[in-house]
Amino acid sequence: MSKNEITITIDGVECRTTEGEYILNAARANGIFIPAICYLTRCSPTLACRICLVEADGKRVYSCNAKAKEGMEIVTQTEEILEERRAIMEVYDVNHPLQCGVCDQHGECELQNYTLELGVDSQHYAIADTLRETKNWSTVLHYDAGLCIVCERCVTVCKDMIGDSALKTGPRGGGPLDKGYKETMPKDAYAMWNKLQKSIIVPSNGTEHTNCSDCGECTAVCPVGALTERDFVYKANPWELKEIPATCAHCSSGCHLYYETRFSSIDNPEEMIFRVKNEWNFQSLCGAGRFGYDYENRNVSKDEVAFAQAVAALQKAETIRFSSMISNEEALMLQRLKEEKGIRLVNPEVRPFQRFLTAYAKSSGRSLYGSDYREIMEESDFVVSIGAALRNDNPNARYAFNNVQKMNKGAGLYFHPVGDTLVPTFGKSVECITHKPGQEETALYLVLDLFADKEALPDYLREYLEGFHETRKKTVKEKVMKEVTEIVKDEETGEEKEVKKKVPEMVEKEVEYDHNLLVEALGADPVAFAESFEKMMKKKESFALILGEDLYGHPHWENLAKLAALAEKHCGMKLAMIPPKSNALGVALICDLDEEAEGYTVGYNQPGDFRLSALGDGDLDMPAMNQQEGTMTTMNKRVVPTNAALEYGGYTLNDLMNALGLGKRLTVDWTMELPVDRGFQAEAFDDLKDGFLNDGTEIRGYALTPIRGRASTAKAKPASDEAVLEGTIAYRCNPQRQFNDFTDKAHQIFEAFALYASPEKAEELGEKVEVIFEEGSLTLDVVADERMNGEIVAVPDFKASADVYRLFGESRYANVTLKKV
Amino acid sequence: MDGYIIGTIIKAVLVLAIISALAGFGTYIERKVLAFMQRRLGPMHVGPYGLLQILADGIKLFTKEDFIPSGANRLIFMIAPAITAMTAFIALAAVPLLPEFTLFGVTVRPIIADINVGILFVLGMMAAGLYGPLLAGLAQNNKWGLLGAARTAVQFLSYEVVTGLSILAPIMIVGSLSLIDFNNYQAGGIGEWLIWKQPLAFVLFLIAGFAETNRTPFDLLEHEAEVVSGYATEYSGMRWGMFFIGEYANMITIGFLASLIFLGGFNPWGFIPGGLAIILKVSFFFFLMLWVRASWPHIRPDQLMWLCWKVLMPLAVINVTLTGLVMMF
Amino acid sequence: MSLEQFKNRNVGTQEYRMLDLEPTPETGWGRFKRVVRRSVKLELFTGLKVTFREMIKALFMGEMHTTKYPFEKLPIAPRYRAIHEMKRLLESGHYRCIGCGLCEKICISDCIRMDTRYDENQRKEVSEYTINFGRCIFCGYCAEVCPELAIVHGGRYENASEQRASYALFEDMLTPLDQLAQQKEYPGFGAVSPDADEKIKKTPLAY
Repeated sequence: MSKNEITITIDGVECRTTEGEYILNAARANGIFIPAICYLTRCSPTLACRICLVEADGKRVYSCNAKAKEGMEIVTQTEEILEERRAIMEVYDVNHPLQCGVCDQHGECELQNYTLELGVDSQHYAIADTLRETKNWSTVLHYDAGLCIVCERCVTVCKDMIGDSALKTGPRGGGPLDKGYKETMPKDAYAMWNKLQKSIIVPSNGTEHTNCSDCGECTAVCPVGALTERDFVYKANPWELKEIPATCAHCSSGCHLYYETRFSSIDNPEEMIFRVKNEWNFQSLCGAGRFGYDYENRNVSKDEVAFAQAVAALQKAETIRFSSMISNEEALMLQRLKEEKGIRLVNPEVRPFQRFLTAYAKSSGRSLYGSDYREIMEESDFVVSIGAALRNDNPNARYAFNNVQKMNKGAGLYFHPVGDTLVPTFGKSVECITHKPGQEETALYLVLDLFADKEALPDYLREYLEGFHETRKKTVKEKVMKEVTEIVKDEETGEEKEVKKKVPEMVEKEVEYDHNLLVEALGADPVAFAESFEKMMKKKESFALILGEDLYGHPHWENLAKLAALAEKHCGMKLAMIPPKSNALGVALICDLDEEAEGYTVGYNQPGDFRLSALGDGDLDMPAMNQQEGTMTTMNKRVVPTNAALEYGGYTLNDLMNALGLGKRLTVDWTMELPVDRGFQAEAFDDLKDGFLNDGTEIRGYALTPIRGRASTAKAKPASDEAVLEGTIAYRCNPQRQFNDFTDKAHQIFEAFALYASPEKAEELGEKVEVIFEEGSLTLDVVADERMNGEIVAVPDFKASADVYRLFGESRYANVTLKKV
Repeated sequence: MDGYIIGTIIKAVLVLAIISALAGFGTYIERKVLAFMQRRLGPMHVGPYGLLQILADGIKLFTKEDFIPSGANRLIFMIAPAITAMTAFIALAAVPLLPEFTLFGVTVRPIIADINVGILFVLGMMAAGLYGPLLAGLAQNNKWGLLGAARTAVQFLSYEVVTGLSILAPIMIVGSLSLIDFNNYQAGGIGEWLIWKQPLAFVLFLIAGFAETNRTPFDLLEHEAEVVSGYATEYSGMRWGMFFIGEYANMITIGFLASLIFLGGFNPWGFIPGGLAIILKVSFFFFLMLWVRASWPHIRPDQLMWLCWKVLMPLAVINVTLTGLVMMF
Repeated sequence: MSLEQFKNRNVGTQEYRMLDLEPTPETGWGRFKRVVRRSVKLELFTGLKVTFREMIKALFMGEMHTTKYPFEKLPIAPRYRAIHEMKRLLESGHYRCIGCGLCEKICISDCIRMDTRYDENQRKEVSEYTINFGRCIFCGYCAEVCPELAIVHGGRYENASEQRASYALFEDMLTPLDQLAQQKEYPGFGAVSPDADEKIKKTPLAY
């Protein structure tokens, strides 16, 4: 995409923007207000509200879909435009229930705001109302159709950002408009009303219930009170809630969000989180972030006995086992314990990732992958994903993948052994290759083969790749235009005439083609693939590669890291990895992890001989992530601050460090000490900024600095089939919205700790199975996941107590025996 | 002789009892009159028209904690209120309260001690009464008390001069110090009243009387806006009550003195018998004191002294001189 | 005093006059002359006359000011702001409060709190409502802001209590159901203005 800087004039103010940017975004970035209801940044313009009407070089255009051109003169307000806008707002107010008093959006309602902004003080239009019923679309979504203004923001965000496309507009059943309005009303307002009167939002699958990932992003973007979280309906008023900016701690996305707190009730003055809000123009949340907020460790007081025991346990501990849902500061404290006391640090979630990252660094000469997901979302038009269960592993990686398809007219290649029915719906140019587990090397070689600049590749590699190409012959059907002569009789005159016509005809033809053995090895048809790939590659300029957790635990991780580095270097691809869990990247950078636990183990939110736990079930209570301040490292390679939303009355890890003589005054005093030699900066916590600028620039915290070294020139090994698994395979993968014990604790997240399988497989397995691994077994309920495909079953790992990591070993795939129970 | 002693004791007890009761009743009257003059009702709830309020106040005063501040001179603090009350009643001993009457064949003279220096005794006793507030103020270890004591000394001593000088002229005319002689001197009806001969002396005596009894507009001793409660700041319960009784007894005494000296005493007044006449006169003076309290603001200490030494004292001296000159020629 | 009289207390139109005061004398002689002049004119007795006149009025002309408070009570103005009342809908008897939370928001002493929930009829139900009368300053903002005329100020002003924590619950303030017929729509604090109808522009309805 072009990134030429241009200058346009909006209301006499000179604005710098880039060519091809929408006028609305350019105005917003420069702090100029243009009203707009239906437009969402990062999504395609809906053109439903028509209120963003402006005059560009004397012509009326909609600023949300008119692109800026050099020297453009834009006027945002003329008398006509104001009249049009006012009429539109009046139409929006027609039959909108006057029940602001009880509405959950009251006070932050865009309909209220614009009605006031545009000075609507009387109503000129009227039509009979239609009965529109309130519905609960899912366990979390509540839709009050009576309040809906059909701006279609929910539809747009669900399609363009989330990728579920779970909503669409449906018929409302409203009567036709009075004909007289057509002459008397401003044109746009009439057109808008005409459409509004006919439509309403319905689930796109034709039922009463949405089939989606329950992320709730539609409730966030809804400008009125039509779409709300079921749990929040009529519970509190927006203005009573205190907004606390924080960072979501559930997965490695580290999304920015606001915890909204208030006293619990009249009887209970304790603060409680009522809901989560986000900057939906710049950051989309997933269901875990939005609904998994009430995982705080409540009613904790300072238990001195337990504290003394914890200090004693740490004194004699040989190993600390911890999960990655900790802040950078806590990770640093643990690392300090390792340095000072020689305690082993064990984190089975992060260890493979750390190893992989180190290997990648060795090969590429950079300690961090080169790109991030915001960049991919904004710039890429071709995304390749290898080794990630996109739908489950990381919502933002999935949103990026989807957004590229929708917004950048992109294409996507999705390599994964577990069949997924959602990913192909992201776009027409999405090709899913369901290979066997363990074939990730082949997939990466294919990427090198498809995208690499062959001239620049090392000789051995080029030769190796050429070995996969064969010239074969295939029969193709070709359309040939054939001339046919027909005799036509003119009916009126009775004359007969000879008419020459061209008629298409299919002709079979044998052609030579390039047969790609790599594609074949991955289980796809090389012919079909070559065809679709050719289409996919049209007009593509910027490529991205997303690497997932499957690679880190792969037996040939070292070779995979090497290949990833090569792909980044030679294909010109933006490379981004998905850190496996919450703060995995931070832990990987800060802690020197050990492979195995030994001796007396202290578990921090993990099993152990002595348990520190933020879940309230351990030997000493710890604050949960929404009760502490500190920093997290996101997968976008930023160190971002998070704040305590709720009070915590007990001891923190820093208190334990103090008792051991290693502590600081506050936990956030550790922020300064984050290791600069691993890419962190010596910035104090209180100096870290938070939030986004008007143009969407993220100003949260700071970006990690990649440490550069010498790239090793060791050769990559050829792809081997040693690691390929056959037979009954279990995949370590959490259901959507579940990441750890904390999401499980939240009352609005219902996904069970169960065996997930495709509907067919689930039917075959029955209700309950015993999953037998080499190391042990688990008995799980079987849940059908409609979006799964194929034979592989998914076993979640979000319950630390189940110790699924031990069962699987390092790899995410394991051969298992499934026994019906 | 025995009969005389017994009679005197009975009379003393009666006077003590009646005047004490009247003092209590006086508080009720004062509150009522002040209320009426402000168009209020005054005490209403205890008994009919609030009559039993006196009783309630009495019970309250008697049952209150007797409080002596630390640092106070205990002995003096305790006897000071008694001095006020005692001097007030002792002063009444030489005052003929009513005309002679016969009861059960015994002729009763309603005077406890008809001494020939009656006026001198009464004035002397009232002057001695200043020790009450003075010692109370000095003994209580309180700065407001001390200020009250200082004001007592200044005010009472100054006005003692005016009282004495103002009465000197009538004494010169009557030629006796006995109050009975004064009464008898005016026996010839309203025309004989000394007020006509000595109007200036009457006015001066009245003003000085207000000051001596510590009434508005000369209630500087315990003016609460300035010195909290003056000499009575630290007093509570019945000790404070004794100051109160003393003050009201003094008011009655002044009323009697003014009636006896200037307004014809207990001589029959037209068809009104002498006993009733003097009660009416005393009542009038009592009412006047309340009336004045309801009407006038109080004055500053410097104005008080200015009035005493620069106005009243010279006028009294002039009055005495003129009276002397008139009597001489 | 009758209510009519009470309401007619017009404190705004009293006629104030500037007193013609002579300058304060500065010399001793001047002061002496002033004392003599005032004494001769018997100015002091004017004061006595005034108080005596008032006493006569009070005693004999029935102009006593006192109200024997707990036994007699003065009428209070309709817009008096005392303990709140929660009104009911006259037709259905359902409470009017819709739980919008505006009173809670506007309350400057932060003494109102409410709990609301989504009820079975898909309506917002006020499950609990309290006013902490220990903190309430009876400013009337809550009544003024209420869009439903649900909360108004009543005339109950005697709220002495042995308990410091005088919380009031919704039910305490709500018109009892059996007294619904007596519930009055007076033009009291928080009620609509008499010309409200003229001020509101009607919305066209197509049906």
